[in-house]
Amino acid sequence: MELLALILIPLAAASVLMAFRPAAGTARGLALASTLLTFVLTLWLWYTWGGETVIGIAKDWVPAWGMRFVLGYGGIGLLMLLLTGLLFPFIIGTGYKQPVGDAALVNALLLFSQSALFGVFMAQNAFLFYIFFELSLIPIFFLLLYWGGEHKRAITIRFFLYTLLGGLALLFSIAFLTLQTPAPHSADFTALAALDLPMDTQLWLFWTLFLAFAIKMPIFPFHSWQPETYTMAPTQGTMVLSAVMGKMGLYGIVLFLFGIVPAGTAHWQGFVITLSLIGALYAGVIAFRQDDLKRLVAYSSMSHMGLMSAALFTMNAYGISGGLYQALAHGVLMVCLFYIAGMLFLRTGTNDMGRMGGLKARMPRLALLFMLVVGNAISMPLTQSFPGEWLMFNGLWQLKPWMALVGIPLIVLGAVYMLYAYQRVLLGTPGETAGLELHDADGEEHFLLVPLIAITFVVGIFPNTVLHLVDAPVHQLLNLFPPLP
Amino acid sequence: MSALILISVLGVLVLYVGLFGRKDMLAPVGILGVLGAIALFATGWHIPHELLGGMLEFDGFSTGFSLAMLAITLLVFLFGPDYYARMANNVAEQYALMLFSLCGGILLTAYNNMLMLFLGIEVLSIPLYVLAGGKKYSLRSNEAALKYFLLGAFATAFLLMGIALLYGLTGSFDMGVLAKHIAEAGTGSALLRFGIFFVVAGLAFKLGAVPLHFWVPDVYHGAPTLVTMFMATVVKMAAIAGFFRFVDITGMPDPLARILVLLTLATMLVGNISALRQTNFKRLMAYSSVSHAGFMLLALLSDSGTEAGNGADVGRTLLYYSFTYALATAGLFILFIIAKRANNGDEHHQIFRGLFQTKPWLALCGLAMLLSLAGIPLTAGFVAKYQVFLLAIGAGWLKVMGFGVLMALLGIYYYIMVARELFMASEEPVTFTVSPLNGLVIAACTIGVLLLGIWPQLVGVWA
Repeated sequence: MELLALILIPLAAASVLMAFRPAAGTARGLALASTLLTFVLTLWLWYTWGGETVIGIAKDWVPAWGMRFVLGYGGIGLLMLLLTGLLFPFIIGTGYKQPVGDAALVNALLLFSQSALFGVFMAQNAFLFYIFFELSLIPIFFLLLYWGGEHKRAITIRFFLYTLLGGLALLFSIAFLTLQTPAPHSADFTALAALDLPMDTQLWLFWTLFLAFAIKMPIFPFHSWQPETYTMAPTQGTMVLSAVMGKMGLYGIVLFLFGIVPAGTAHWQGFVITLSLIGALYAGVIAFRQDDLKRLVAYSSMSHMGLMSAALFTMNAYGISGGLYQALAHGVLMVCLFYIAGMLFLRTGTNDMGRMGGLKARMPRLALLFMLVVGNAISMPLTQSFPGEWLMFNGLWQLKPWMALVGIPLIVLGAVYMLYAYQRVLLGTPGETAGLELHDADGEEHFLLVPLIAITFVVGIFPNTVLHLVDAPVHQLLNLFPPLP
Repeated sequence: MSALILISVLGVLVLYVGLFGRKDMLAPVGILGVLGAIALFATGWHIPHELLGGMLEFDGFSTGFSLAMLAITLLVFLFGPDYYARMANNVAEQYALMLFSLCGGILLTAYNNMLMLFLGIEVLSIPLYVLAGGKKYSLRSNEAALKYFLLGAFATAFLLMGIALLYGLTGSFDMGVLAKHIAEAGTGSALLRFGIFFVVAGLAFKLGAVPLHFWVPDVYHGAPTLVTMFMATVVKMAAIAGFFRFVDITGMPDPLARILVLLTLATMLVGNISALRQTNFKRLMAYSSVSHAGFMLLALLSDSGTEAGNGADVGRTLLYYSFTYALATAGLFILFIIAKRANNGDEHHQIFRGLFQTKPWLALCGLAMLLSLAGIPLTAGFVAKYQVFLLAIGAGWLKVMGFGVLMALLGIYYYIMVARELFMASEEPVTFTVSPLNGLVIAACTIGVLLLGIWPQLVGVWA
């Protein structure tokens, strides 16, 4: 029942907002209350979780196509639920200081997408997964279309088509897989995972499935929608896209590729890791050359995602746990970074780092908050990203040492572009915007950033709080994989 | 049979009502009659029976299709009084001709004999030639009528030629005899191949399948919008039903499959590609109807005959697909007419701008119907497309289906372009006037599309 509530609470709140269009303050309050309620619910699920897969609700929908309404979660799903539950209150909270457009509509759209995202992470039936997967896209589409920046129409349509292409490839695969199950067909993940598909099928099926998730994350070379969309989108939209929706890709890889076509995945493993690492390096280099702060964060997100994908595809315990653990860390990081970019935009009216500089003297507290976040971004020890990065590199090393070696410039690059950005914005000679009426970070902004930064340190010091979630499922997955030659 | 008679008599009755100048009574009489026909069909549901010595055979498939066509006709008629409010003369003929055309459509769902096929196509088409020219003083309307008539006459000739060749082969018009001949003597004879080729050409013309689709955009564009709505919905359903029966009873012989693959690929490709750049909403809907014909053909392609294979499944899928497509299309056309009036007769898809600001619920209805046509989950259009893809995979047409998936993506693009307009602000204030009845019809279409999407078993076809 509480699983259904996770989907229904945001849905109900969004419907109320849509139907009655309350004033901005009420709308935000209601949205925040709803997201906090769902966060408490996810915490409750975490607290009561006993380590096994929980099935909360199972109802037949269209039995002829194996379509069933099954909601449940295992450790990995729970991690994703926690991520969604944790981050949405902050994403809604962003609207207080950095409002866009009609508050009732914006919050309604955000809540709709949250509802669908919960659905994605709880669906235990491939068909249901697909439905939520597509539904999560529609509110974001409107958010971008209405309140995006320059060239919003063209960029939004491109983003939409790109992701739908992936979605249709996924649908194709699900339809094919369902028909392979013994009659009466079932699209439940358990039934699909029990399929022992012949190797040649797995080889092509891997790609039709991978396409969907590679676009969503995104992984090089399927990324070309991402930087522009992240830059153009309103801050809250970018947060949902980068912090939560990108994780659908990671989750999908574990669920579909590892669970259903393990042999195919093992066959393409090296190729995909190479792609991911190329993408990570490439995005890192581009991030270094950016003048636009939001765009820099967008590329840094892509760089991190590339590394996470590479780590997942090592298909060993270190790599997979590291990649999954990092999903949460990356989500928290993205919300922080985009929030700070928004704060700076609010004060200076620009994202152009060339026009900033020397702002630290005017805004010391903002500078401190930024520093702490940057610490997390470059994986300083004691921050949340450090254990994740360590695990991921360990995983890569175990597979092929050269892969971990390729990752070393990545660490350097990440530190360089983040610190360089910090320097250009806050240090050095005062830029042209330094003369503006700048006020330092205020109480509300601390209220949003401090808890997130606190989480980074708590999890950084006690990574096991998160890692224990994925421990058992990862070992279960490892049993599925064919032994390495 | 009684329903068929009822509809024909109803057409004549409507003409008489018009003769006595009771324009206000036309639609009510028509609606009551259609409701009566629905009742007659509904009571005979699940009772297969043959008529006219086996020339017609009403089974679950034809009853279902007839009911669906009647339901859509009902929607058209409900919008009729509003649409024809400003037309003084000859309104009765419009209703009557639609009813006659509907009779032809019902024949097409149930024929078991090639004579009935021919009769059905003709009864369906001839009223449409007149209807397309319904706006007597509009150049476009006259162009549409003439084009439709000339090309339609050619298509009929093809069909007749095909039937004649098949008759020459078997010595009978009966479809059962033809099927038996194919089963026994194989598909080697040239008579059979040419016969099938010509019959398929005639049917593909009616369906608007590429390369026999050239009339579709011009006729849809030129004809009065209510007639376009009727053609895009009821006539489309009748055509696909007729096509299905031909394919199903003959059991998909080899030459037929080869023609169908080409038709399917071409229709999906050309329909979707051409729709991409359309800015006139009626032409866009015309190409959208071509592209949907392509997806229906894909389902048809997967048919291997009711006797031996999945024919029953294909029939159900086609019924579901065409009905939900018709529901969304009908609702959108009404919305289009409302927007067109608000913008002084403009037909560019930008006329929908400002709808969300002034009538948000209407815009959401429009969105739901567009998403259904595009095939986004939780709408009926998605369920329909998914079922088609399942059939295609089951029949081993993996590559054709992969191509279909790509084409579906293109389809999403042009529907989303229209959906975008629904939510854009307009430069100057536009007032959309929606009468309660029109609002109700649009809401009914939307609810139907959503309900069938969330709960596909509702129509009882998938147990």
